[in-house]
Amino acid sequence: MPEYSAFEMIAFTGSRQLEDKKIVFVGTGLPIIAAMHAQLTHAPNLYMIYEAGSLAPILEIGMPLSVGDTRAGRKACYLKGLCAVFELTQRGFADYAFIGGAQIDMYGNIGSTIEGDNYNKPDIRFPGSGGAGAMAANCAKTIAIMALEKRRFCKRVDFITSIGFGNGSPDYREKAGVMGSGPYRVITQQALFGFDDATRRMKLLEVRPGFTPQQIQDMIEFELIIPSDVKEMAEPTEDDLRLLRDEIDKEGYFLKRVVKK
Amino acid sequence: MLGPVSSKIKSVSKLKYDEKPFEHWGLTSNEVRKITEQKDHGLTDKRMTLKEAVAKYAKDGMNLGVGGFVNTRVPAAIIHEIIRHGAKNLTLSFQSNSICLEWLAGAMIVAPEKVSIKRVELAWWGYELIGIAPLWRYLVTNKIVETDDYTNYGMSVRFKAGAMGIPFIPVRDHGGSDMELVNRGRMIECPFTGKNVYLLPACNPDLGIVHTTAADMYGNARIFGALCTCPEIAQASAYTIMTTERVIPTDTIRRYPNLTEIPYVAVDAVIEQPYGTYPGACYGFNWFDMDHLRMYRGLCEDFRKTGNKDGLKKYFDEYIFGVDNFDEFLSKAAGYKKLRELRTMDGYQPIYTL
Repeated sequence: MPEYSAFEMIAFTGSRQLEDKKIVFVGTGLPIIAAMHAQLTHAPNLYMIYEAGSLAPILEIGMPLSVGDTRAGRKACYLKGLCAVFELTQRGFADYAFIGGAQIDMYGNIGSTIEGDNYNKPDIRFPGSGGAGAMAANCAKTIAIMALEKRRFCKRVDFITSIGFGNGSPDYREKAGVMGSGPYRVITQQALFGFDDATRRMKLLEVRPGFTPQQIQDMIEFELIIPSDVKEMAEPTEDDLRLLRDEIDKEGYFLKRVVKK
Repeated sequence: MLGPVSSKIKSVSKLKYDEKPFEHWGLTSNEVRKITEQKDHGLTDKRMTLKEAVAKYAKDGMNLGVGGFVNTRVPAAIIHEIIRHGAKNLTLSFQSNSICLEWLAGAMIVAPEKVSIKRVELAWWGYELIGIAPLWRYLVTNKIVETDDYTNYGMSVRFKAGAMGIPFIPVRDHGGSDMELVNRGRMIECPFTGKNVYLLPACNPDLGIVHTTAADMYGNARIFGALCTCPEIAQASAYTIMTTERVIPTDTIRRYPNLTEIPYVAVDAVIEQPYGTYPGACYGFNWFDMDHLRMYRGLCEDFRKTGNKDGLKKYFDEYIFGVDNFDEFLSKAAGYKKLRELRTMDGYQPIYTL
């Protein structure tokens, strides 16, 4: 197997979750790379929504560096504004929300607004919801990319920015007035997670070769559901890495990023 | 703010927050309509200098609706002039933005007697790839500004409701998140389906600021690339200042009226300002200047970490207070060679101004 980085593994795993003939509402960075990889491999008829107002662009002048990048409008089928694409989503045309966040709990609720217990005087202030809260509410399914750390996979997120299954009750999302079915996948470099149909709790689906389910559990504050049939995560091939490095993120803006702790 | 009807957010959230009675942070739909009814609605030449426009429409205590999205088609030139003119106790309204807000926040730090921000209603404040916004973090963690959080759709559709002349609009997001607890929206039972639905108050700023691709002298504007929420902000606001890459003949506008995204009635001042979004991007003209954004962000991060204002002060003295207008800023901060490079990096996105 060729050597690959954490970000390359996350982008590749993200790509594997995206089916053909669907629409993915992408956040900045790895979700864009994952969707571009999917288009170049198993999902040529997969299209993206960019929240500034673009539906199904052809990214021929380069990967957009952000969801508001002017490049995200290139050769789109439809280019309007935020209201237009979020209303397509609210109406049911967006299949996947592909987002990130700072904290996640066992029911897939995600925080990206503050750290600390007081909204009016937080310890840390993050940029805010951006599109994520609306995407998690109203895309059919939510896929999240997270860093696998105890402080991030926590019992309680400080501020629920993007709705998951709330407290896990079957009618939580209905009472919230949102339309999408909720959390679907959580992607990290060491493991892939899904959600249990009966309890709506996070469950382990796949682990990276070399890791055990227990090692994954040890990096998480809440109790995971660990089924008996946990699989090994597929690893990117030379071809996948060539696409990621030479065709998608040529400058290494996201894949070669250095993470500051 | 929990009303008689709510989601089950309280069963999962332990968040502390200040409970407050509802208050309008901008104009009500009735108030904004009154202002609009008192204006002339004929085709009059609205061209003026940016200095004249800002002196006429920027007021202390105003709710300022900021157009663009993150680093794209942001009204940088108008913000630049508002800072030079001065505006205090601002309420800022926008979905997602970067340099415009960090400039205002920087001005508040180096020249608090000229510029100050009181409240922010928003979805997102940051630079995306370039990093978090240091001054946003500074303002909130030090409790200097009051905040009100929505999603990007939430803020956009609040402007849309404002543009529609209605007081609120139902949406399918915010409910079941902590935004339901802290923002000024409210859950109700839908009178038709009996199901929970979230209502957001309309947003009608006192002053909207937008930059467009092309406009005639009356303010009929075309926008190429993502519209962001600029048409809604222009139409929701009591007054709107518009900078545009180029002023085009009204004959051109009338030839393809379908291409008009902002009608002249929604605009009060038109200023031709090439590169008016710099260091942000403008589809068809220039990509964003990552170097300049990084440089300014670095100065802000230094201030946040050390409390030393010297770097920021030097930047403002050189690039904002020390220049007479935005063209002079462009010459100093970018220069022809840089603007030429950014024009190439845009990738020659197609626009139509004929």
